Amino acid sequence: MVALTPIQEQPAIAAYLHRLIGDEGLLLIERFPDEGEFSDEDLAERTEINLNSVRHTLYTLYERRLAEYRRIKNNETGWLTYLWHLRLDNVPAALAEEMEAVLEKLRTRERFEEENDFYRCGQCGLLLTFNQAMDSDFCCPDCGAPMAHFDNDMLLLALRRRREAIAESLGHE
Amino acid sequence: MTVKTEDDAFEVIRSHRRGVLQSELRKMLDVDSRKCSRLVTKLIEDGRVERSDYRKDGVKTFLLRASRAPADPSLLLAGTELIPCVVCEHECVVEECPLLMDWMYQLAIEEIQE
Repeated sequence: MVALTPIQEQPAIAAYLHRLIGDEGLLLIERFPDEGEFSDEDLAERTEINLNSVRHTLYTLYERRLAEYRRIKNNETGWLTYLWHLRLDNVPAALAEEMEAVLEKLRTRERFEEENDFYRCGQCGLLLTFNQAMDSDFCCPDCGAPMAHFDNDMLLLALRRRREAIAESLGHE
Repeated sequence: MTVKTEDDAFEVIRSHRRGVLQSELRKMLDVDSRKCSRLVTKLIEDGRVERSDYRKDGVKTFLLRASRAPADPSLLLAGTELIPCVVCEHECVVEECPLLMDWMYQLAIEEIQE
């Protein structure tokens, strides 16, 4: 991991950016000049990061409004140049969008955990719902070992609490 | 009439999730409009309250809402583990996702440790 700039100091933001753009992307952010706007080639030269990697990072950030460009045209050659700057001030908004999507998924998973009984293979750890386990006579379809009831209460409780906390943080009623 | 502070005004505004009209706030706080306006201005300056134009029966007033804190992204972490759903490129079967299951285990462990 590269050294962190202030916005990346929050662990969740650092983890998000790392998953989004990887080590080289973080390096680009770290080395991106503080002021001004730059072409991808200029950035590759200044940061000593491979041009393809710079482009990939910029487009990935752009998709989430974390980078912007201004396009200028050379009237003599007709060539277009894209001048980039970062918009890391949009990270909280991007993460809030992610949290909305996550909330929906956690609701779905919570319902599934609530509505089902689970059975687990003592040998290989395979987890099945009651219906699936019944179909295989409560023997693991992978390794044949007997399956035992799996109590998901702790998981469900933790999941519910986190789902509620996310909903509250997003301002849902 | 007791002296009303910005905190009193903020508590009233915050207790109305859909916002409260400035003209109503004045009555609730039992203060005159000048005092009410001064309290509201301070709350806006401090970023605690947002104000938007509002017309009630043709009369212009303001709708006041408590500013909401930005969503807390640390809720996407279980321990140091970011929830796998963020920037996920797998086909999503949320009921059976083993990565999500691992994250949920981490979440449950975190709860036990707390």
